[in-house]
This record gives sequence, structure tokens and C-alpha cells, in this order.
Amino acid sequence: MERFITKENLTRLAEELVATCRVLAPVAGGGSVTFRRFQPGMTIDLHTRMAAVSPKAATFPQTETLLVVKREGEEKKPELIETLPQGKSVVIGCRPCGARGKLIFDPVYETEKIKDPYYLQRRQNTVFISLACDRPETTCFCHSVGSGPADPDGSDVLLTLVGEGYVARSVTPAGEEILKLALFTDAGDKGKEADAKNAKAREMMGEGHDYAGAPAKLLARFDDMDFWQAQSAKCISCGACTYMCPTCYCFNITDDDLGLNSRRIRTWDNCMSHTFTLEGSGHNPRSTKAHRLKNRVGHKFSYYPDLHKGVIACCGCGRCIKQCPAGIDIRQIVKAAQEYSE
Amino acid sequence: MSQLDDLKTAIKSRLGELECVIGWEQGYDPLHATPLFIRSEADLDRLIIGPLAVHNLATYLTGYKGKKVGVVVKGCDSKSVVQLLNEKLINRDDVVIFGLCCDGVVSQRKIRAALPADPGFVESVEIGGDGMTVTVAGQAATLKFADVQADKCRICTTPDAIVSDVLVGTAHTPAPAASLACQDEFEAKSDAEKLEFWQETMSRCIRCYACRNACPMCVCRDYCIATSRDPLWLSQDNTPAENMMFQMVHVSHLAGRCTECGECERACPVDIPLMLLRRFMNKQVKDVFEHQAGAALEQTPPLLTFKVEEERINERGW
Amino acid sequence: MNANPYLPDMATIVEVIQETHNIKTFRVVINNEQRMKDFTFRPGQVGQLSVFGVGESTFVINSSPTRKDYLQFSVMRVGEVTSRLHQLQPGDQIGVRAPLGNSFPIEDLKGKNIVFVGGGIGMAPLRTLFTYMLDNRKDYKDITLLYGARSPADLTYKAELPEWTSRKDVNTVLTIDNPADGWEHKVGLIPNVLLEINPSPKNTVAITCGPPIMIKFTLQALKKLGFADENIITTLEKRMKCGVGICGRCNIGTKYVCLDGPVFTYAQLKELPSEL
Repeated sequence: MERFITKENLTRLAEELVATCRVLAPVAGGGSVTFRRFQPGMTIDLHTRMAAVSPKAATFPQTETLLVVKREGEEKKPELIETLPQGKSVVIGCRPCGARGKLIFDPVYETEKIKDPYYLQRRQNTVFISLACDRPETTCFCHSVGSGPADPDGSDVLLTLVGEGYVARSVTPAGEEILKLALFTDAGDKGKEADAKNAKAREMMGEGHDYAGAPAKLLARFDDMDFWQAQSAKCISCGACTYMCPTCYCFNITDDDLGLNSRRIRTWDNCMSHTFTLEGSGHNPRSTKAHRLKNRVGHKFSYYPDLHKGVIACCGCGRCIKQCPAGIDIRQIVKAAQEYSE
Repeated sequence: MSQLDDLKTAIKSRLGELECVIGWEQGYDPLHATPLFIRSEADLDRLIIGPLAVHNLATYLTGYKGKKVGVVVKGCDSKSVVQLLNEKLINRDDVVIFGLCCDGVVSQRKIRAALPADPGFVESVEIGGDGMTVTVAGQAATLKFADVQADKCRICTTPDAIVSDVLVGTAHTPAPAASLACQDEFEAKSDAEKLEFWQETMSRCIRCYACRNACPMCVCRDYCIATSRDPLWLSQDNTPAENMMFQMVHVSHLAGRCTECGECERACPVDIPLMLLRRFMNKQVKDVFEHQAGAALEQTPPLLTFKVEEERINERGW
Repeated sequence: MNANPYLPDMATIVEVIQETHNIKTFRVVINNEQRMKDFTFRPGQVGQLSVFGVGESTFVINSSPTRKDYLQFSVMRVGEVTSRLHQLQPGDQIGVRAPLGNSFPIEDLKGKNIVFVGGGIGMAPLRTLFTYMLDNRKDYKDITLLYGARSPADLTYKAELPEWTSRKDVNTVLTIDNPADGWEHKVGLIPNVLLEINPSPKNTVAITCGPPIMIKFTLQALKKLGFADENIITTLEKRMKCGVGICGRCNIGTKYVCLDGPVFTYAQLKELPSEL
């Protein structure tokens, strides 16, 4: 289905959806654009820049309460309460790369044997209304990882800016339901203009880098710690790259003691951190930042593709590059492994 | 010879005795520099200095314990080196300091605000005279350094490295502003307004610890209280209260140690103005202990030492 | 396992055995009678024990699936969760998420000679298989158990050792590192005693678990004795959180120890990148 919505009506859409859904949208504040829980009166900021943090919190919140344990009965026997997420969410104004991030989660969080009910509930009840990009940033490389600036995969509705509004195309049945709302009008022949804009944006990106062979090339460097020490020299072992990443899905599970009661939460975790693999004995299989960067790059460009039909666990949004305090460029690391010769 | 040429010559003459020399090179686009680890003369060709060389490279020094390395430092960065030396976190014999006389660095945030389009669309950058011409998304914009300078440069009293083995460049006569408007405005707020400000601001924090790990003085890193379970001080829940608590731990641990290099704030991916806390804390430390971290060699941070009676704390008078 | 893989079963500690100065064995019964009755697992599988408000840690189920009165876990006190577990008494409530991970290839082992080589707390995963084999004795040929610890006080399962050493249908050899008063068994490092026992590799599978340094030299000894890589089995440990292959920390390259392990043959380990 193809429709049109004006800029004003997109804000109105968010205001209407608030009554029935949790609406997440990019909002500027303190100089930063981040996804915030939208409330009427807020200004959605779709065009200043791509939001600093990806929209992954919609399906993978930074903190998810897994369960609560209450000890309130007579005998103070602990009672275990499952706390599955409830309700529906709509993300308005993410970029196609951000919406695609969860496609990397899917085969991990839902297998034949194991189904992660927290993720699946959010996955099934979240609609992504993405905005196609009209110009690549220096850090963008979605076209190198099998995507593009108007990739509909992972989105439910794809918007393309045309004049003072957006051509809106449904990608999924859930997206089609949204487009049936009265705020959307007939797109007329604006679709052609949208196609031309999307084609131009893709053309501006030029030819992508070919990551073919990267899994084996990275594995071939596994024991070459000189290589990884050189690649990681400027890494400061923080979590900016992983926390900003739409595809990074690793988490921690910790208990909060609340007196008689307690709760178990899962929170984003960071493979760049020393504690990530630190064992009770004090042994750490990834004791240096070189080991940890190797695992991060290896996971995305080698292990994950080997396990999941060659799909690279990266959506090319470039957040890890531009948000890295030291300016580490993951593209250069993979390339260095690909081009390595003894 | 230019300052860069002088620096290259100086590094070249010492490179043989060093594990590496840490400097800067151009990063992923013309607007960004990135740290460079010089191991050979070929690497030296990539070295740059100038207003885009923002990183405080002293942060890396504690990672080279037992090895001899070189580091290029601006005036502000050299204060971090001094503080690391004063706390005996690094050994003077293990570091060769290539000091710069610095003309100031940019704030990427101010550049972002001043450009007609997002800096992600940068095409070219030309630096010269008192500013730079940046072309973004087909539009050229001329920015004056005075307008996009990092806050720390405006109040800088030490543009030239205060400790060095080699100092390159022409010495400056510092002309610091008395204070920063953003700091004055923040401190003028009422407690209720400050609380509201931090509640709003800390709701953006994602606890990535870029602020902590970019800090040259935050040497606990792998063993930080922020993720420790024993003792357990912080929940991993990312509520504004927990996030603010972490920042309070961070700033308290830096009391008398923070050299105001601004790396915490620069590293923050969601633009949290952490220097408001640092500058406030440093002001208290200066008032109470007459101490400024990194200002001179051979001084001990006040909280790493003990005096029976502090001159400016009236311990028995209340 | 529950449909929600993060949801533990509430369970009651029925017995606590002080094995050594820092190892306790916990016998645990799932509170829901039907779930306890239906609980099945294979030797080598692990479980996550919860102390609510503190956290979860992974331990091998070291009772045998053939004995269903309780699930047994042996816990060395090293960190936050294990320290709190050690404070618990019979009657206390914990959470159990089990079974997780793969298991020993019990079908493939049928008709083979088995050599167990266990060191210290590493006896725990071997105990489950050893007990299982004793309960299905006719399915396996000669069984040798070599179990060692630093000193007599460091041996776990002391209550069972008399039975294990006196049974005629298994050859149990105990060893300690240094001589001790009243010790009637062998003295010497496990790999050396293994060479002394000199088991034939013919139609034999060796199963070993223990501290990294012991494993390293035991593998060398087994190779010296002529064991093929495919016929050496061990179990790995990693820091784990989810236990179901999602949270992303226990991988060695493409393999997740919580899902693809903890049981690996030496041949499989050699295929993995070196990150133990």
C-alpha cells in the first residue's frame, strides 16, 4: 500500500498513537538526538541527524525485568513472578539500518528449542516506521552489508521525504494497518518522486565493499595477537560501540536485592568490558582489549555469518565508528584482515 | 620548518628506543582525527597536529606499564601526564614527552551546531588562518576557531606543555577567560532546577562508560565499582538515579585528581555535559585545599595524603 | 526447562554435605512434585542455581539420571553466588534452571572400556557419568576411575569412596599430590599415576575433568598412551549468564559452551580457535 502523510500529520500520528501504544521517536535534547518515549508536545526530530542511539531499545530495552521474587506470605516463602512485557509499541522515524538491526537478533532469540519470550513479545508488538535516508554519511556502509538507504527489510512502513511530507509504503500487514488511518492521504504520483529520491541516495553511496571471504580471513588471524594488538591499540575498552549498535544483542543478568523482595534484570552488556568473560576463579579467556576487539569483530563478520547463512551481524549504520571516542573504524579492521598477507 | 616538521624530526630521533610514539592521524573523515601509534618512520608520515587533534593521549600511558613509550601532548594533556607522574601511576623514565605549544582544539559539538548540515556529510576541510572551511552536503561553511573552540581552550592557562622532553612550537602568552558562561549559568540554578536538569540529562545516559575509559585518571577501569558485585554499590538498571550515582562516584573519585582535559565530556556519545560536575568539584578542591591537579610536578593530591589539621577546614570549630 | 527459559523452578535444599573446606554438595528437590517427577536429563548436562537477590551460577548436575530422589550439585566457594549458596541450610529455597547444555555420548560409549581421570572439583561431572555407568554396568566393559586431589582433605565424595574402591566391577585408583599420614592409596600427580596404570587405548574412551594445568598434562599423558583425539572427552567451563546460547559470552569462535558444550572431545577442541 502506498499513501502520503504531511510532516504535521506525522506528529499528529504520534500524538494519536500515544493513547494505545508506547511511541518512541527521535527527540533532540541537550544537543543530542535520541529515541525518547514520545509525549504530546514533544518535537519529533527526523532530519537533523540520525539518532545517536539506535532504536534497538524498542525490542531490546536496556533494562528488562525478567522476574520478581516476593517474600510476603506468612512463612516468607519466596514466590516467583514472571514479568513478561505487555502492550504495543511504535517506533517513528528510525532509519532503515536501525530497523534492520533486529533481523540479526531473530535467529538467536528464537530457535527451534529456545524462544526468548521477552524479546518475542516486543518483536511481535512493535511497529517500525522508518525514514529512508537521502544522503550517506562518511560512516555509512549499509550498502556493503547487503542493504541500502531505502531498504524495507525490518521496517513495517517506509517513509520517503517528498516535498513537505512523506510517501509512506507498507512493508508488512502491521504497516498496512497504520496506513489505513485517516491521517494518511492518497499519494497520487508522488511515488515516482520517492523512487527517484531513493535511487539517487543509493547512487550517492557508490559501490560497496565486498566482505566475501571475511569469515575465513578473520579466523586465519585468530592467533595473530600482534595483528589484534595493533588494531586495538587505540581502543579504550568502553561500551559506546556495542551500546549504540542496532545489532549487538549480548546481555547481562543480575539480581537486585530489594530487602524481602528481589528482582532479576537483564541489561545490555558489552563484550569490550573485562568483566564480560571474567570467571569466578579469576581466569579470563579474553584478558586484554586485543582479545575482546577480536571477539567483537569476529562475532559480527565471521562467527555469526558462519552460523547464520552468511549474514553479517552488522547493519552498516556506522554508529560504532562515529561514536567511538578514539575513532576506531570497524571497516578498516575487517579490510586489514581481508588484505593481510604474511 | 613548521611545528609538525619539528615534531617529526624530534620523534624520529627517539623512535628507536621506544615501543611506539602516540600521536594523531586523520580519522575516518576529513573532520576527525584519531590516535596514531607510531612504530616506524613510515608511520610518521601520517602524523598530524592541529585543531582536530583533540584526544588526550595520556589516557593510553598506563596501558604500557614497563615499556618505554613516547607521547605527544598539548598543554592540557601534559597536565594529565604530570598528575599520572605525581600519583606514581607512570614512571618518568618510561615516557618520552613530546610537548606542543598548542593553539587550541575544536569542539566537534560546536562544529556540528555551526554547520548548515550534519557533519556526517562532510566532504572537505581546509584549515588556515583563524578558522576552517568545511564543505558539508555540497555547502561550504567558514567557521572561526574562536566560535568552535573547545570550552577548555577558552579558560586555558597552560597552552604549552608544562612537562616535556622536547617542546615544539612558539610559546604562548595565555589569555584565559575568567569563567565559562555555561558553568556560571549552571551554578546559578537552584537545587531544584539542578535536580531537574540532571534527571532529564541522565535519562539519556546509557552507562557505556566512555566517560570513564576516556579519562586519563580513571585507572581502575577493569575493576570499577560501577560493575562490581562485591561490594555492590550500583544496580545495572539504567535509571537516571543510578546513572547519576555513577557520575557522582566518578567525580568524587577524581576529586583533586581531575586535570579538566574534558575527555569525559568529549567521549560521551549522548552529549552529557559532564564537565559541569568536574569544574564544580575542582573549584571546591581549590577552595579547600588550594590544589589544582596536574598544575606542577611533585605535588600530592590532597585526598592521597593526610594532615593532622587542614589549614582551610575548621574541624573543631563546629 | 520452562517455556520461558529464564524462569527457574523453585526448589528446596534437602541436604548439604561439607565435602572439603571450600566445597559443599547440595541435594535439591524441585517444589512442584509433577515437575520433579517429569524431570529428565542426560549425564554431563548442567543447571543454573539461583540465590534470589544475589544471582545465578552454573553447575553440573552430578547426580545420575538413574537416581531420581534429588538433583545434586557440588559448589566450590569462589564468588558472590557460591559464597551465598554456602550459607544455605536444608529447607532453604533456591531456583533451578535445568537441564542445560549437551551431555556425554552415553550411547556411543556402550561396549567400550572407560577410563575416568578426575582432579579436585573436576570429579563432579565425572561422578554423574560414573554413577550412571554403575547403574547400567552391563552396557560398558572395563571401567577405571583415577581420582586425585592435592591432599586427602581435598577429595570430594568421601562418603562414596569406600564403595567405589571396594567394588569388584570397577578399578578405582585414588591419589594425592604429597604423602599424608594414614593415606593408603597412591601418591603422585594424576598424569604420572595415569601413565603408571597404563590403560590400553584399545576400544577405550578417556573422560577427564579437572583444573586447567591437570587437564593439560593429562592430555599429554593420554596421547603418550596412544589415545586418539576422538577418544578423549572433557568438559569446559566459561562464565555464563543465560545458559541458552543468547547472551553471548561463553563462545569460543562459533561454539557456545552453554549450548554446544560443556562436553567436547579433544578432537573437537582442536578444531576450535584457541581461547580457553
